[in-house]
Amino acid sequence: MHTDPIFIIASAIAIAVLLASAATHKLRAPARFARQLADYQLLPQALLHPTARLVPLLELAIAFALLVPVSRGFAAISAASLLALYAAAIGINLWRGRADIDCGCAGPDQAQPLRPVLLARNSALVLLALVASVAPVARDLNLFDGFVTLAAAAVALLIYAAADGLLANSPLLLKLIGR
Amino acid sequence: MEGLIVSNVLLWVLLVAVAFVVMGLVRQIGVLHGRLAPAGALMVDKGVAVNEPAPQITASDRHGRPVNFGYAGEKSQLLFFLSPTCPICKSLLPAIKSIAREQAGSLDVVFVSDGDMDAQQALIREHKLEDATYVVGPEVGMTYQIGKLPYAALIDKAGTLRAKGLVNSREHLDSLFEVEHLKHATLQQYLNAQPHTHDHSHGHSH
Repeated sequence: MHTDPIFIIASAIAIAVLLASAATHKLRAPARFARQLADYQLLPQALLHPTARLVPLLELAIAFALLVPVSRGFAAISAASLLALYAAAIGINLWRGRADIDCGCAGPDQAQPLRPVLLARNSALVLLALVASVAPVARDLNLFDGFVTLAAAAVALLIYAAADGLLANSPLLLKLIGR
Repeated sequence: MEGLIVSNVLLWVLLVAVAFVVMGLVRQIGVLHGRLAPAGALMVDKGVAVNEPAPQITASDRHGRPVNFGYAGEKSQLLFFLSPTCPICKSLLPAIKSIAREQAGSLDVVFVSDGDMDAQQALIREHKLEDATYVVGPEVGMTYQIGKLPYAALIDKAGTLRAKGLVNSREHLDSLFEVEHLKHATLQQYLNAQPHTHDHSHGHSH
């Protein structure tokens, strides 16, 4: 498959920034993350704290690896698997009917319950990570290509942040209009 | 070709700007959702009717000095019913104090509480209410039939009860004064007096 490097690098940057910001949220409030992880009720008690410490480090490592061309393909696959794993965790708890736990999806002030739409969100992210894993067509990148890549990654992240905000707001809105 | 590149750069820059604006809007909506506190429950209408003379009672404040309620006087009276065990009451104290400061010339604020004296003292120390009129005892609350806290009642100079209600936020408190200003006893009455609900037969002086 032949894909222009702009798509690939832009997706890699976007996913890297996303994972890095997720990791910093988790590192800044480890207790909250451990609590959210416990709420998901997927891990035995003994594994909770090691996992809560390991996940943000893993996310950071993947984020850095995504930015290095040599490791990009492998890191992108890892990122896709990690995001798919999160989606699976959400899916399992939705299936269990435990939708009222905090998703832990975005920052600290965006607590939101689990909903099927979060699965769609994660699928979009997995798709983006898979784009980043494709081997690029070899071509020289000039300054303008670099600019387009950065701009595209920035727009993708901003739109993601906006969409995420809308997702977090929607339960509050439903409460407000009384459904 | 040069023109296309310039146009492309311009479009990207503008797109980034638009994305920032959209994100800002979403954040603002989130903040608004956070600030929209649940409105207070509608007034459980019992006790003294609004726009009727307030019941007259004298109770002693925590220093044993007599405080008159419901008598005609030089200033209006705002009765704030609270309890040391009620967290929302405490969160409203700064608002009450600022209202007392702003309207010091025309309004006497009286804190009415009941219960354990040590807890009252702790509350008074914590919120610096040493100089405020602070009544501890069940008589006033029973006379005005206060069932829920925090509750506030506004009595004008002539001793008429002008407004009362459960207050959960600064906005609710301000609405008491607004009610006096609008000459409607309750928010419900005011809403019913609006033109679009005139099919309700309510007699109002407007």
